[in-house]
Amino acid sequence: MANVADLLHAVPTDADEPGLAGETRLRELFARLSLRPVPTGTWRRFWRLGGLHAQIGLAYTMHWLRGWFQGAERKQRDLAATRLNAAFRLLETMGYLRGAIMKVGQTLANFPDFLPEEFVATLERLHFLAPPMHFALVREFLHNELGGDPEDVFASFETEAFAAASLGQVHRARLKTGELVAVKVQYPGIARTIRADVRGLVTLLWPLRLSRDWDSVKARIEYIHRTLELETDYRNEARLQERVRSLFREDDGIVVPRVFQEYSTHRVLTMEYLAGRHVHDYLAAGPTQDKRNRFAAKLVRSWYRLFYAARLHHPDFHPGNFIFMDDGRLGLIDFGCVLELEDEDWELMGKSDRPLTTGRRDERLAFLKEWLDLPSDAPEDDRLSLCDRYAEACWKPRTAAGEFDFGDEQEFRRAFDLFIEMLRKRYTRGRPLDAFISRWDFGSRSMLYRLQARVDVRAIAEQEIAATGWDRSDYATLSN
Amino acid sequence: MRVSQQAKASTRKRILDSARVLFVREGFEHATTRHIAREARIAAGTLFNYFPTKEAIAAALVGEALDAAQEDFERRRRRCSLEEDLFAQVAAGLRRLKPFRRFLRPVLQSTPHPAGVADNEAAAIRGEQMERVRRLLAEHGIEPESPLTLQLYWTLYVGVLGFWTADRSPKQEDTLALLDQSLAMFAAWLRETARPESQRSHN
Ligand SMILES: Nc1ncnc2c1ncn2[C@@H]1O[C@H](COP(=O)(O)OP(=O)(O)O)[C@@H](O)[C@H]1O
Repeated sequence: MANVADLLHAVPTDADEPGLAGETRLRELFARLSLRPVPTGTWRRFWRLGGLHAQIGLAYTMHWLRGWFQGAERKQRDLAATRLNAAFRLLETMGYLRGAIMKVGQTLANFPDFLPEEFVATLERLHFLAPPMHFALVREFLHNELGGDPEDVFASFETEAFAAASLGQVHRARLKTGELVAVKVQYPGIARTIRADVRGLVTLLWPLRLSRDWDSVKARIEYIHRTLELETDYRNEARLQERVRSLFREDDGIVVPRVFQEYSTHRVLTMEYLAGRHVHDYLAAGPTQDKRNRFAAKLVRSWYRLFYAARLHHPDFHPGNFIFMDDGRLGLIDFGCVLELEDEDWELMGKSDRPLTTGRRDERLAFLKEWLDLPSDAPEDDRLSLCDRYAEACWKPRTAAGEFDFGDEQEFRRAFDLFIEMLRKRYTRGRPLDAFISRWDFGSRSMLYRLQARVDVRAIAEQEIAATGWDRSDYATLSN
Repeated sequence: MRVSQQAKASTRKRILDSARVLFVREGFEHATTRHIAREARIAAGTLFNYFPTKEAIAAALVGEALDAAQEDFERRRRRCSLEEDLFAQVAAGLRRLKPFRRFLRPVLQSTPHPAGVADNEAAAIRGEQMERVRRLLAEHGIEPESPLTLQLYWTLYVGVLGFWTADRSPKQEDTLALLDQSLAMFAAWLRETARPESQRSHN
């Protein structure tokens, strides 16, 4: 997005500019504004809000003042100063572009070992918002993206957004061919801003370079950058969405909205509209245990389907991504951050199958050593033992035979407390994937907990795992 | 021989039509007044009776585009917030000015200064545009008590246009963001200063 240098350059200036008395003070004020910290704990030290709005304010105000102060009387100057103060106060309260910064903060929350103490709080607010757009802005943006005004391109287009998205907002519309669609529109320039910010992160984190975490920090930032590159590109999301869509059949009762490519770009995603409710509203209507169980089973199945049939991992298991449709089907949306597992990770996942299936502790320990890059004869120290307890708690729904009661608060808390303990002891550093898996664990567990659902996870997993073609013939003899 | 009003208007139109074509085809820098006169089938000297400089021709073209944009804007206008209304008005202008994006800068350079002694065409654009905004603000119940308000608007406006002429982002998306944020800032500022002194928050 625009920066102050561009802008100052663009604002036409007068040939001779006399020095301005208030200029220094102004610069200070704006500097203060633009140094406001991002509210994400540890990062505070390293990261300063670029303060685009403050910069714009500076550029304009300077220009304006130059013209004004030249011939003004003292009284008028005072008046101008009063108005300026008003402007400053407003600038301070304006959250424009926070969304961009927040999106990065949100991604950092995927790497919770960076900010342990902040983690719990961060979990609560994983969703941050881009600035809202009024229809005039949406119209111009769509005009540029789709080559025509929304009123002309679509049969009808609702001027008010019906939902917010992290990078923009979602509007309901109807295509000329009759389909009801959801049009997800990005705030202009936000994707490029985010990417540029992340590119600058390594530099900003330079003071950390001597710490023992540096290599891991750097690798993760690079990872974030790659991920964001994909996540902010709706074409990529559309591609993944189509791929996921092809994994489900009518009788699964799981729907992924169809993408309308002709009405989609890197910044606009037009897809079939799914009518239904998110979990909160769904639960408010007091559905029966049986109905909740059925939705929960679909949730579980959807995740295993992506994983086993397509090597895709959906880490963002939060309520906004699931639509409980009135006809009992489960709608899945938002595939921007779906990960495609690389061979190495996939291989490791294959190795987890055995302990997951047998539920035996020695199998689990053997797997964890490999996961943690420990030699197979490594002694069982505190770290390994804690990881084991954590893995046991996380895997329980899968290893337990029969229905697992996700509404069991004690079970839920146990896994959570173990995870917090791992964070506190900084045992979680490892592959970036770890964090995504943890995030999924808690995302899915919280959803299922809210549903107070009972699901036979194992049965579902056993059906879905067939797609992998893994040789599991000797597991039976290992079962306890 | 006296030239009738009608003949004058038609010559003026011919000049502008020729310039529009030439500016877009050859670029503002390369299109000379002589060139424009030839294209309009008039003597170079005659052209100067209508426009003292090439910049003045460009300014007239911009003025025409903005008039057309105002009509577009009025036609499509809907009940909305002040921010949105201001945005829609400028956006309509950007659409109409699109063919001239590259030679807008020299025109802008001659208009921005409030006390500027710019040539007539440029000054007229500024006056016209500020009047439109004054009316728009009035429709939202805002009667600026001081000329500063409109001057601030003009500065924002020219700043955005200037930025736009050099915007290299995909489909000039940065300009939309800049415009959105600038006008939101302006509208918020207006609301703050429009309140009576006693209600304002003080530092
Ligand atoms: N196809 C759709 N049908 C119905 N609602 C949708 C659809 N796509 C998005 N939404 C609504 O918009 C919200 C944000 O969309 P989402 O894709 O999750 O955005 P983000 O880019 O922030 O991940 C969703 O939580 C949902 O309420």
